[in-house]
Amino acid sequence: MKVLIPVDGSENAVRAVAHVLALRRETPALEIHLLAVQIPIDGHARSFVSKEALEDYHREEGLAALASARKQLDEAGVAYSHHVAIGHVADTIVRYARERGFDRIVMGSHGRTGLLHLLMGSVAREVSQRSSVPVTLVKPDEAAR
Amino acid sequence: MFESMMHAAFWLSVLQIIAIDILLGGDNAVVIALACRKLPAHQRNKGIAWGVVGAIALRIVLIFFALQLLALPFLKVVGALLLLWIGVKLMQPEDDEGHGNIEGSTHLMGAIKTIVVADAVMSLDNVIAVAGAAKGDLGLVVFGIVVSIPIIVWGSKFVLRLMDRFPAVITLGAALLGWIAGGMVVGDVTLQPLLQGLPGWLHYLTSAVGAVFVVTLGGWLARRRTREGAGVAELTLADAPRGAGDK
Repeated sequence: MKVLIPVDGSENAVRAVAHVLALRRETPALEIHLLAVQIPIDGHARSFVSKEALEDYHREEGLAALASARKQLDEAGVAYSHHVAIGHVADTIVRYARERGFDRIVMGSHGRTGLLHLLMGSVAREVSQRSSVPVTLVKPDEAAR
Repeated sequence: MFESMMHAAFWLSVLQIIAIDILLGGDNAVVIALACRKLPAHQRNKGIAWGVVGAIALRIVLIFFALQLLALPFLKVVGALLLLWIGVKLMQPEDDEGHGNIEGSTHLMGAIKTIVVADAVMSLDNVIAVAGAAKGDLGLVVFGIVVSIPIIVWGSKFVLRLMDRFPAVITLGAALLGWIAGGMVVGDVTLQPLLQGLPGWLHYLTSAVGAVFVVTLGGWLARRRTREGAGVAELTLADAPRGAGDK
């Protein structure tokens, strides 16, 4: 089974990874992929920055977002792939999972506080509404089991 | 300024200016971060700080000139046309053209120069829009600059996320720019004598026409340019993916 864990460097991702690690105890043949989606930079910034510099920037930010989830998987001694993509976050996750034939998307939800919580929480909701691939949303209390 | 605070129009302008700063101010921070990326760690914060100071100083100078210029005959019409264009452009999806060549400089002065040059150009839309929304009220202009500072410094990610989550924000912003442009046209000194006998609500009409124009044209152009099925844009990572292969 091929599992996609979209991460943003928040507590969400930690919970999603913990959930997948728990799943793995039952299904050891899990193929785990981490995906960090970076929002493209529009407007004027693009006319001042070379494509390479912009990609480097996205790559760096993406790897930073991936870091905690990777550490978690490394410590658990689990093999995985990690990816950085650029695009509208929910849209890119949905398309990525469909295009690469994933069997499941596992996302944490409601990991942020305040306004960011409002903004980021809805990414998970949007993915679960639009994805043709089954989506598992991991809420804070569920991960504690 | 304090007397005008009583009026609803004043608060409307305040809201407009905040919206403009959020919509048009986010990319400045991205350029600052990019220009300072390759500086040695101990110089990076210094570069960012001086870059921000330079950007703000430049914005004050630019807005001063914008206010002077907008008082000249016919230039409010020019300003309004520019705003319409900025509004239409705001609604366009990202394109691959127009990539510049600014690499992160390894020298502090080089990084600061990059930021200031980029900011001069990037602040221009913001400055024209704020000057239009403030309608000559200097207090509002100062307010606009003060509000833009935290957005330049910390707001870029927030602004990007906001637009990612709620694309309607962009359409509303474009409509706002069209609205301001429509109001600006009738405020032009050359047109004033021609508009003498016309009713006071005229500027609402032109504002509404401006907003509808920007959203209609911008939406139409954006639909024409949207490419479907381009596939997900994945970046190649320098360190090879580990574990199971990337299929």
